[in-house]
Amino acid sequence: MSRTGRLIGGPRGIHRIPQKTPLFYAPWDSYSQLTPSMIDSYNILSRKEHKMSQSFNNNHNSFNKIYINPTVADNRSDILAWLSPLDPKARHQDVRERRVEDIGGWVLQTEEFKSWSAGTGSGRAESDKPVLFCYGGPGVGKTYIR
Amino acid sequence: MVIDHLCSQARGQNTTVTCFYFDFASQNEQPPTRFLGSLLKQMVFGLDEIPEEISGAYDDRRNALGGQGLQISDLLKMLQTTSTHNRAFICIDALDECATEHIAKVLDSLSQLLQRSPGTRIFVTGRPHILPEIRARLGGRVTSISISPKRDDIITYIRSRLAADTTSDAMDSSLEADILEKVASDISEMYVEATTPQNTSQVV
Repeated sequence: MSRTGRLIGGPRGIHRIPQKTPLFYAPWDSYSQLTPSMIDSYNILSRKEHKMSQSFNNNHNSFNKIYINPTVADNRSDILAWLSPLDPKARHQDVRERRVEDIGGWVLQTEEFKSWSAGTGSGRAESDKPVLFCYGGPGVGKTYIR
Repeated sequence: MVIDHLCSQARGQNTTVTCFYFDFASQNEQPPTRFLGSLLKQMVFGLDEIPEEISGAYDDRRNALGGQGLQISDLLKMLQTTSTHNRAFICIDALDECATEHIAKVLDSLSQLLQRSPGTRIFVTGRPHILPEIRARLGGRVTSISISPKRDDIITYIRSRLAADTTSDAMDSSLEADILEKVASDISEMYVEATTPQNTSQVV
């Protein structure tokens, strides 16, 4: 499969678009793992997105939307994964579901927290502390209480 | 809790909130470059388009040596260009669980980030023993709060656990009151005893 493609400017910057069949263009060979049913769902989704984009933005070039999006979406997630494979949002979601509402709310009411979160750092005031360190022994509830 | 609070405050503002959870068990997977990369990823995630600087670097590097990662200095530069327009809250949980050889680099990176992007606010949790290290690297920019479970927190917690109890027949209001009273006072004492000697040794 060829890696060469024409560079064109899309809505999200410069993207490489394939010269041949878009769905089988594989910068990382990821498309070669697609099954026909996945491709079908993808095509359906593309059509749906295309319809939505038309209603949102009539003067948008629909050619770009349909044919470039596979590469754009793929490129975008590749870049994000390249920046870091870690996903702290998943851990956060987990903590979020387990923690009990309102517990630890007193921290938000402390002067330290209030001035920390309200500070903008723009004044460069000596008293402005951009770093807030909450410390405590193991199990006191720094992350949450379980 | 703090992250959720910041997120709800940030809605509609020109503000980003990013988080990172250091974990003792995955120290090897959390070097400083991945930590910074993760922050950058979260900032970029909220943007409609990936900044030219980042997509360009990606295109350059994926051809070199089969896909090269970024250096700390590259990541700091990118974080700077991505976050200058916004106020950026960075929340870091359990910094003490970061590998010891990496803590200095993480803190120095944060220090640089603060210098380059004055809108950055950093929230860190950890055990007290890393406070001297934080102060040494971040200097007078640090303020701190000591965390201990408050009596009200414990009562709220026990109530929520009791409410979720499936054998509710066995519970009546006087038993509930007894449990709350007993457990809450025991726990408060436990933490007073457990934290006091530790704090004194920290001061010394």
